[in-house]
Parts: sequence; C-alpha cells; structure tokens
Amino acid sequence: MKKKIYLDYNATVPLLKEVKNSLIDCMDVGPLNASSIHYYGRKGKEIIDIARTNIGELIKTNKNNIIFTGSATEAINLLFSNFDTIVVSSIEHLAVLSSSKSDHIISVNKDGIVNLNFLEFYLKKLTNNSKKILVSVMWVNNETGVIQPIEDVVEIAKNHGCLVHCDAAQALGKVKINLEEIELDFLTISGHKIGAPTGIGALIYNDKIHLKPQILGGGQEQGMRAGTENILGIKGFGEAAKFINNATENNYSEVKSLRNYFEDKIKTLSPETIIFGEKANRVANTILMALPKIPGDLALMKLDLESFSVSSGSACSSGKVSKSHVVSAMGYDNLATNSVRFSFPPNDAILNLENLITKKELDRLARCWSNL
Amino acid sequence: MININQIIKEMDLEGDPSKHRVVVAMSGGVDSSVTAALLVEAGYEVVGLTMQLYDYGKALQKKGACCAGSDINDARLVSSKLGIPHYVLNYESIFQDQVMNDFADSYLRGETPIPCVRCNQTVKFTDMFDRAKNLGASAMATGHYIRRKTKKGHLSLYTGVDPSKDQSYFLFATTKNQLEFVRFPLGLLTKDETRSIAKRHGLNVANKPDSQDICFVPEGKYAEVVRKLRPGSIEPGNIIDVNGNVLGKHNGVIDFTIGQRKGIGVGGRKGVDDNNSILYVIALDTQKNNVIVGPKNFLSCNKIKISDCNWLIDLINETEFRVLVKLRNSSQPVIGTIEVNFDKNLAYLTFDKPQFGVSTGQAAVFYNIKESSHILGGGWITEAPNKSADIQFYNA
Repeated sequence: MKKKIYLDYNATVPLLKEVKNSLIDCMDVGPLNASSIHYYGRKGKEIIDIARTNIGELIKTNKNNIIFTGSATEAINLLFSNFDTIVVSSIEHLAVLSSSKSDHIISVNKDGIVNLNFLEFYLKKLTNNSKKILVSVMWVNNETGVIQPIEDVVEIAKNHGCLVHCDAAQALGKVKINLEEIELDFLTISGHKIGAPTGIGALIYNDKIHLKPQILGGGQEQGMRAGTENILGIKGFGEAAKFINNATENNYSEVKSLRNYFEDKIKTLSPETIIFGEKANRVANTILMALPKIPGDLALMKLDLESFSVSSGSACSSGKVSKSHVVSAMGYDNLATNSVRFSFPPNDAILNLENLITKKELDRLARCWSNL
Repeated sequence: MININQIIKEMDLEGDPSKHRVVVAMSGGVDSSVTAALLVEAGYEVVGLTMQLYDYGKALQKKGACCAGSDINDARLVSSKLGIPHYVLNYESIFQDQVMNDFADSYLRGETPIPCVRCNQTVKFTDMFDRAKNLGASAMATGHYIRRKTKKGHLSLYTGVDPSKDQSYFLFATTKNQLEFVRFPLGLLTKDETRSIAKRHGLNVANKPDSQDICFVPEGKYAEVVRKLRPGSIEPGNIIDVNGNVLGKHNGVIDFTIGQRKGIGVGGRKGVDDNNSILYVIALDTQKNNVIVGPKNFLSCNKIKISDCNWLIDLINETEFRVLVKLRNSSQPVIGTIEVNFDKNLAYLTFDKPQFGVSTGQAAVFYNIKESSHILGGGWITEAPNKSADIQFYNA
C-alpha cells in the first residue's frame, strides 16, 4: 500500500506521541473513578485537576470555569439549551447551526468574514424586545480557515447588552487565545483538534451567568455535566494543551510556508482554481479550493486513490458529500459542491513532530489536482 | 463451484487483472458484496461505490435515524473487510427527480410503474456509470444475475444461470453502449453459491435477506409514498361495475392496480354464477376518478403497444417476428408476434393466447424464441386495452 499523505488536520489531529505515552501511564495507575472517595478516586481527581490547569493556562482562564463534555458539539448544545434567542453567523459549524435552531443569521462577505455592519444593525433591531440574547460567532472557520474579527463581534454584542459565545474548535492551536484580553462569556473547544483523543470537549463559561445542565445525574463537573468523568480523554486534552503551550511563540511560520508553497504550485498548474477566502486573514494551515468543473466528491475520491487524504469539509456521517453551506454563504453557490479542503498540521510544533509532508509530495498533489 | 478463472473470463478485460481498476456498485446486500469479493480475489483493483438515493430516516419517518440507513454501513463494512476503498455518492436529488417523481406521476396516470428499471436506466447506469469512468475504471460491475456474452463479435445479454434469480426483466433497458462497460460476474452463479462465497470471505452480509419490493417504499405501502410525494392531487371517487352502477367509494385510484382482486372493498354480486361473481379491477379512469371492476374475462388483453424500446440485437430487416415476452418479473414468458417500428422505437405485440391483468407502466421484455435465455430487448407498455375499453359508461 502506498504511503498515505494526510492533509485533513482540521478534521482531526493524530494523537500526539507525548499524549499517547501519558495515556498509557494513566491506564497503569489503576481503577480511576474520580468520584470515589478512596485513594484511586483521589488520584483520578488529581489527574482531572492537572488537565484543567493545563487547559486554563493555554487559553488564560480560571480552571474552575472549564466544564468537560464529550465533544465541542455537546458543549455547544449544553450552552444553547439555556437560550431562546441566539444570533449566529451563516458560516458556523453545523454544531452551532443545528443546535441553535436559529433564524437570526448574520451574513458573511465574499471573503468569508462576518458582516459586522449587519450584526450591528440586526442586534439593534433585535434588542428592542429585552430578551436575553446570545451571539455565537466562530473564531476560525473550519472550511476556509478565515479568522473572524472576534474582538469586534464582542464589542458590538456587548454594546447591545448581549452575551457572546465563540466556537473555538478550529482556533485552538492555530491562533493565540487569551481570555484575559477578550470579553467572551463562553468558549467551546475540542481535544482532538490539538492531538488529544476524540471524545473530549469543553465549555468555558462565565461563572457569573447561571447555566442549567442538560445531562443530569451524579453531579460531576460542578453539576453541569453528570456522568463518570472520561479520565483518559481529559488527561489527553490536558497533555495536548501543555504541549501546545510549551511550544515557542509565533509558531506557525513553517506551516504557512508549506501551505503557501502548495498554493503557489496550484495557481501555476491550474490557474482556474478558486481559493476561498484567499484575500482574508486566514490561519496558516488551511486552504479551501475548487475547480469550476470538478465535483468535490470526485476530486476527493481521485485524490484518495492517489493516497492523499483530504476533505470536502461538508461530509455527513454517512459519507455522502453535500453542498457546502459555507461556500454558498460566501456567494459562490455554483461552487458549493466543488470545494475541497486541504489542511496542514495546525502549528509548527505538530508539523515537526510528524515531518511527513515534503515539498515533493506537495508537487505530486498539485499535479494530481491539475489533472482532475 | 465457480473457479476464479471463470470470473476473469466473464470480466472480459484484456491482460492481467491487476492492471484494471474495476468499480463495483455496492448496495450493501450479499450479491454486490460477493461481486466485490470475487473481483478482489481475481486480482482486480476494486473500488466500491454506494449510492445514497433518499433520506432513509425521512422515508421510514424515524426521528433521528441516519439519512443513510444500515445498507450503506454494510457496504462500508464489507469494503473494509476486503481492504478496498469505498465511497458514497450523493444522488438524493437526481433520484428524487428521475425516479421517485416518475413513480408518483405514473401511479397518478393509473399505471403500475417499475422504479427499479428507471433507477438502473438513469441513476445507476448513467450517473454512477459516468463516475466510474471518471475514476479511471476499466469496467463497472454490479451484482445482478444476468450474463453478458460476446457472440459473433456482438455483445449480448443472457439470463443468469440461476433461473430463480434471473434479473433480466429489470435490465432490458441497458444500452449497447452501456453493455461495453458493465459486467455481471454473478450471472455465472446460483444464489446458494453466492451465499457460500460470502461465508468463505467472512462477510457480515452472508445471511442478510434479499431486499424485497422497492427500496424507498417501506413495507410495500406504495400508496402512502405517492400521497406524500403528491399531496392534494389524490381524490376519492367511485368504484363502478361494467354497467356503470356505483358499488362503493374509494380514496384514490392510486390504491388500485389493474388485475387486483383482493382489498377492493366491494363484495361479490348476488344472482351471478360463481365464476363471474369475483370482481377484479379492470380499468382505472383517471379522468373521472373511477375504479372500474368486473369479472375476470374483462381483463383479457390480446395486443399491447410498447414504447421507448431498447434493442440489444442488431436491427434486422424483418419487422415482424415471433418472440417470448415477459410481462412481469415473476411471471413465465408467453409467446406472441411482434411488429416493430425500429425508427420510432415502437412495437405492437399480439399474444398467441389472451393475457389477463396486463398493466400500462410495466415493461415487456423480449426473449429469443429459439434460445429463451437470449434477451432481445424490451420496452414500456403504453397501451394494454382489455375488454373494458369496449364498455360505454353513460351514467358514470
């Protein structure tokens, strides 16, 4: 079998070696139910506390404001179950769009950036009927990698007395997140996007705002999420956070240079390629592009048969590829079934761990793309 | 038992199997799974494709059910077991346009459609076929029990070796052009052999029951599906006899098919002898919204018109010849004489013996009278007049 070239890090980052080793050690500790009062219970609590501390340090927040959940999707569902009126952007992940059931949708421009004027206008209209309103805008779009002006969103929302949630699943590990510098009320993150195992996410919340839990039971996670704690998931999330936190500042340049190298190759070999959000401020690792005449699922299949693992950014769990609502929202409805996402490791630290992606392979990938 | 060299021969691809990429249309059933398994065993580079045709959760009205149902998952598990790549094709909108809408409209016209043939004709042998070519495949294989043979330099279709599983009725519309590219390795096998191969390969679908009925119609309740697809266009009307007497009411002509005897909702008639007391649906008058019932002899049909014919033989000089014809998948072929208009793709078929309960919308598939396994072609029954056509309904 040919060596597989993985370029779908926005879908999931492979389990980091450091994380894996820490999990094996954790498995050897013994029976770990953190709610037990005995020795092993205390051990479990300690492991969870360390993980909470690591994540708190990574995003600069009080560790006690972190609620572990089974996924970022679950964290979003938990949060949204507390609000009747939620204003979302049109390019949010389905976790936000589906669970908010919102018809208060803020458009984006051709570059995939949320329309701040429209947000301002919309909130002015909406806040006339003094309900508790939550504004939910993602930090980084999962398909295009476009970074949203989240500080401005917060400012506008606050001016209208709204609370703000940010889906940071794709931002974690790709941009600096400092919750001391931004007045967000809620943030949701996911472990497997930074090299922890799947099955662990978290809601970071403002403890001045009272939330009701969705899952009831034994009162774990300060009563906010019942169910025996997923110790291995939490441990893994904490270790991955520590790994990212210890990596040096400004650590996206190598990823960016590889991405730009590939992008330039594509532009040379197939100038008809459209790169979505090209002019916007994007994270270093993501490219979403399309060929006008090639359906995205065909591109995906052909590249997979050539050993490249990439994504359409909109596949459902059945494996069928649907129209990208993000590409549609950006005004490219005719290309919404054509888009293909290439995502490199989120940062240099993870890139260097793997060292799997060479320019030679990117050359071959660009040639495959131009021959689709 | 089949040996793998027979499969390679049946595949009819030049040179070493490993040089050929073959796409297998995988439904998640045992037949297409075994097709993939045999081709992997034979050494081809196999790629599995499964069509997502409709929202399974919505069709069964199950809240939270996956849009794909369990069949796609079975196809994926089999592919994984065989170590082949597998992809899902999202054909929901094409299937809705070309198969489900046609199905509903056909019932509204008082016909009895066969959506499986439409699906083979459109989605499977057009869209999936193109995708297989785009993926650089040398051929596309399906799990149908039918044979593709080259005779005297011409490609022909023959019934599968297992007469109980023969699927030629559903594949009459396969064009000569499509025949160049598609392959049916299971045409050589009996169903028992297929199941034992599935077991030998440890496939989880080895004992999966054969699919029944129409995939998007749960429990055979086709009328419910038509009502959902065409809300508001189905109206109640009268059930009348051949003299125009109203015997009862019905909730829509779509609930009836020509030749239907059970569940009409009107009892037998008093004062008539036994043979004639049983009532059949003999006509559906969609203009006046009447269901017409009568004794069996009214169903007798001598001649039918067949449109949109597809011929799998070379166009011959004769325009009139004797054929075997199948009017339903499950029935035995009958003998008749066909008059063909090759230019208009039309044919008229006169039966040697009158046939009962022939319905428009169904297919008529022709077989060689000298070699009954040889499929000549087929078409859609567009006119099937029975004795009800002679009745004048003054009061109705």
